[in-house]
Amino acid sequence: MNADRIAVLIGKELREFRANPAAVIPVLLLIVVCTFMPFVVVYVVPLLTGQSIATDRSLEQVIAAARVNIPGLADLHGAAATESFLFQQFLLLFLIAPIVGAVSLAAYSVVGEKQGRTLEPLLTTPLTTPELLVAKSVASFLPSLTVEAIGIAVYFGLVALVGEPGVLRSLFTLRTAILLGVLGPFASLTALQATIAVSSRVNDPRSAQQVSVLIVMPLVLMLVGEIGGAFFLTSTALLLLSVAAAAAWALLVMFSVALFERETILTRWK
Amino acid sequence: MVSAQAITRRFGDRVAVEDVSFDVAGGEVFGLLGPNGAGKTTTLRMLGGLIAPSAGTIAIGGRPFTRANAGSLRARIGFLTETPGLWEHLTAEDNLRVYARLFGIAPPDPAVERALRLFELWDRRSDRVAVLSKGMKQKLALARALVHDPEVVLLDEPSANLDPQTARTVRDLLLELRRKGRAVVVSTHNLDEVERLADRVALVSRTLIAVGEPAALRRDVFGRRLRVRMAGAHPPLPQLAEIAARAGAQDVRIDGVALSMTLDAPDTATPAVIRALVEAGAEIREVFDEAPALEDVYLKLLGSPTASEADMSGTPGHPS
Repeated sequence: MNADRIAVLIGKELREFRANPAAVIPVLLLIVVCTFMPFVVVYVVPLLTGQSIATDRSLEQVIAAARVNIPGLADLHGAAATESFLFQQFLLLFLIAPIVGAVSLAAYSVVGEKQGRTLEPLLTTPLTTPELLVAKSVASFLPSLTVEAIGIAVYFGLVALVGEPGVLRSLFTLRTAILLGVLGPFASLTALQATIAVSSRVNDPRSAQQVSVLIVMPLVLMLVGEIGGAFFLTSTALLLLSVAAAAAWALLVMFSVALFERETILTRWK
Repeated sequence: MVSAQAITRRFGDRVAVEDVSFDVAGGEVFGLLGPNGAGKTTTLRMLGGLIAPSAGTIAIGGRPFTRANAGSLRARIGFLTETPGLWEHLTAEDNLRVYARLFGIAPPDPAVERALRLFELWDRRSDRVAVLSKGMKQKLALARALVHDPEVVLLDEPSANLDPQTARTVRDLLLELRRKGRAVVVSTHNLDEVERLADRVALVSRTLIAVGEPAALRRDVFGRRLRVRMAGAHPPLPQLAEIAARAGAQDVRIDGVALSMTLDAPDTATPAVIRALVEAGAEIREVFDEAPALEDVYLKLLGSPTASEADMSGTPGHPS
């Protein structure tokens, strides 16, 4: 594989994203929602309803049960414990945002080439199919990862600003690192690779984006299940999920390369 | 420079191109003519290494295309695809710069500037492609095909969407490429363009119907005919036709105020026929070899375009 050609194509993709807000705005909106929604739930909703979440009985029971699995919670009590618990759970949103973002960009990136009939000229160059796929994947992955990182920084910054003492420190755990640093990126890669595979068979970016539902739904269930106290995913469980996501990604890469057979693209993409 | 030997391409049960062979030398412009669905684009794609033949071989500069060398051979080819296929959100300059770098040109900017100036797009270099006219997009696509100064140039309908002035510029450019020793293959419906440009043409309709120099094709298809146009007073044309026949002409036809005929040995028989006509009192205005248009050759060999298109394009969605 030729790194220069991959870099050239990634640069082109990023310039196209910049010049095409339709592809990027949904990603930005989603990350803004994911970043601020937890603060709305933790601070604004109680203000509007006049009910403190620290005194919510069912939540108290969930947090009590979670103390065993969340080391950071052990030293916190009352409002601080509630905030720490909720902010931990809402970190799952930062898995969903980059997945949706990567999928959105990948769908535009691949189906956009199809719609603009720009792929055939590209295939007349020395660019190989794996180089093309790697460039498409990285170009979709990098912006969503960057936006995610900014969102997380803002999230932690806001926790530091408005959270109870000790809440921010309680978020810096191995679990958080695995969740955001390992599972998140691999879940994104899996989703975008699935999108690229699907994109070779559809003509509408929205059709390709629908594949993200398959990845996002389990994550939403994880979020709901954890907040409801149904289960709690430990660091080990998250690590295993990361390995599964990495394996799924590797399989999808092979699948995508097979589907991206040049001749198929040229003769079937209409 | 470019060699296609017995190439066949199947798409499932459908045969798009069957047993086509030709060579294109450096410094030659080769025209590929045929109705819609005749396999011209498929042939160009095979020549460009985009799709592999189901049978037969393609070679560039004596090196057959293989999976291993496809990339390096494609680097020697400039390919204008059927549709411009430009990135609409990027500027004209960015479009070319990406291609120049993909073709390994470092630094890319001088090549990009040269290509943009060649097609008079330098002043529009910072415009997004989306705002350019169809003709400008076609020119930009041509610039892209030539940005790396390729040895082999494959052009699918290069004059599509171009105004007459720009089409002339493109023709001049192709002649310049020929002068520089490039091998140029042009697929087009524009018979006039091919007539003016091509050193040789291939008529294809799935298979190779005929290949050769336009003049030779005319001669092969219609034979060499002499035309004698009368001026002023002259004996009745049927009488002159008989005189010409007695002097050695065959298949003498009357067309307006002219006689059209074939001669077994034109170089020696022509003076004898002309002398006989003059002695019979004919005043002759001009004598010349008839040159039927390439279009006539095309229609004679491939039938009427309408009928051919109906026959050949019955499977929409497949490449032509």
